[in-house]
Amino acid sequence: MIEFQHVFKSFGRGRNILADVNFSIPPGEFVFVSGPSGAGKSTLLKLVGGLEPASRGAVTVNGHRIDRLSTRTLPYLRRTVGLILQDAHLLFDRSAFDNVMLPLAVLGLDRATATTRARAAMEKVGLRGKEDLSPIELSGGEQQRLAIARAIVGRPAILIADEPTANLDHDSATRIMDVFRDFNQVGVTTLIASHDTALMARYARRTLRIDAGRFEDVPGVPA
Amino acid sequence: MNKWLRHHRYALGVALRRLRQHPFSSLANIVVIALMLAVPILGAAVLQSSQPLARQLAVAPELTLFLQSDTPPAAQQALLARVRTEGGERIAQARLMPRDQAMAQLRADPTWARALDALPDNPLPDALIVTLRDSDSPARAAADLAQAWRQWPEIQEIQLDSEWVRRLESLLSFVRVGLGMLAGAVVIVVLATVFNTVRLQALTQREEIAVARLVGATEPFVRRPFLYLGALTGLAASLLALLLAWLALTPLNAILGGFARSYGVDWAIRLPAVPDLLLSGLLVALLGAIAARLSVTRRTRF
Repeated sequence: MIEFQHVFKSFGRGRNILADVNFSIPPGEFVFVSGPSGAGKSTLLKLVGGLEPASRGAVTVNGHRIDRLSTRTLPYLRRTVGLILQDAHLLFDRSAFDNVMLPLAVLGLDRATATTRARAAMEKVGLRGKEDLSPIELSGGEQQRLAIARAIVGRPAILIADEPTANLDHDSATRIMDVFRDFNQVGVTTLIASHDTALMARYARRTLRIDAGRFEDVPGVPA
Repeated sequence: MNKWLRHHRYALGVALRRLRQHPFSSLANIVVIALMLAVPILGAAVLQSSQPLARQLAVAPELTLFLQSDTPPAAQQALLARVRTEGGERIAQARLMPRDQAMAQLRADPTWARALDALPDNPLPDALIVTLRDSDSPARAAADLAQAWRQWPEIQEIQLDSEWVRRLESLLSFVRVGLGMLAGAVVIVVLATVFNTVRLQALTQREEIAVARLVGATEPFVRRPFLYLGALTGLAASLLALLLAWLALTPLNAILGGFARSYGVDWAIRLPAVPDLLLSGLLVALLGAIAARLSVTRRTRF
């Protein structure tokens, strides 16, 4: 579960990017975060992933108040949240397969189990046969899918994606969204930031809309 | 294999990969540390090789009391008795060396025989040779006795035969202190070099560190490969330093061996014992890991 209670976020002494945000997402929901560029979508996702602290208020993820977690325990919460940021943050000095293996090395899984799970994750996102390629040899859509494979390989309870279909053609975007939908259908809470209204119209069941400091929690797609 | 071991195996693999990715800069750092390490290794080799030589030569202090030339034999015997009485427990042995006997001993040495033939008569004085007992400070006891005996009118001169051994021991003590200070300098060089190397490595690996943190890596997980990198650098530098020291000893020993043989001594500089070398290698590896730990902390931002 993800819960925001009176959450404010500002950087330095600047204006509030998020002001008094309140919402609750039960396990297994598929939620979009929408709004124009600079509205605070990415900031909201980073608060959920524990990458940024809230200025005020409480962010609770999987029953843990993030502001109360120490720097020692926060990484364990991150393992339950699969993060796909706007920049895929792939490592170009190793193969696509080794990129997917990294979270499993962090978990300390044995080689055989890790290999099986990494192969399954790559197959799930349609990258079978591209294990030995460097990420730089993959197309933009494939790189995004590789980032998804790396996010899901640890079997997180929550999947967060920031503009995962930006700069992708329609077919690639649809394929990626289908992957998210499949994971959501097996119970993974999914939170996706996007300003692609066509995509939201097709997939959204609930949308958190942020615009000019205003926050709305609406079922389906906001008008 | 449990998770802890798997994490360490992974960290070791990452450290080796990082060393391989930057072979020239890695080798340069290793060579710098190795050159600094080779100097104290050679110093320790010289020190350890010299100690048995000093021990072998450092006989109990011996005083030679040269008598006035006009001292009659009866007075010589009386002086011998007085030396024994006043020296008491401090003296192990005291004997008279008549000038004729001293000359005969010198003549027995072929180096001196021809030179002595040229002399019209025996120039040597009669002497009393006093050997002191081994004690905590035999050199001081010898100095005290010599000071007292110099006041006797029958004594022309007193020679402390062990003086040069004391000087050698003082020199070795000086070398020992110098080596200690050099070891301190080496520690600082190892810490500074590995600190800088690891910090640069961490900067070049900041993307990997960011991704690892993103997928839930703990700080020890992020830091561990750098600790291995520091330790491996230290270990490789120790091995190279050992090789350099061994290579340097070969020509040095060829020269020193010939020099020592000219004095009738069989002497060569040998590297410290294998357990000592292993221990020093492990210590340098530990120093490398400590430097890496200081270099990459939780507060280190990349």
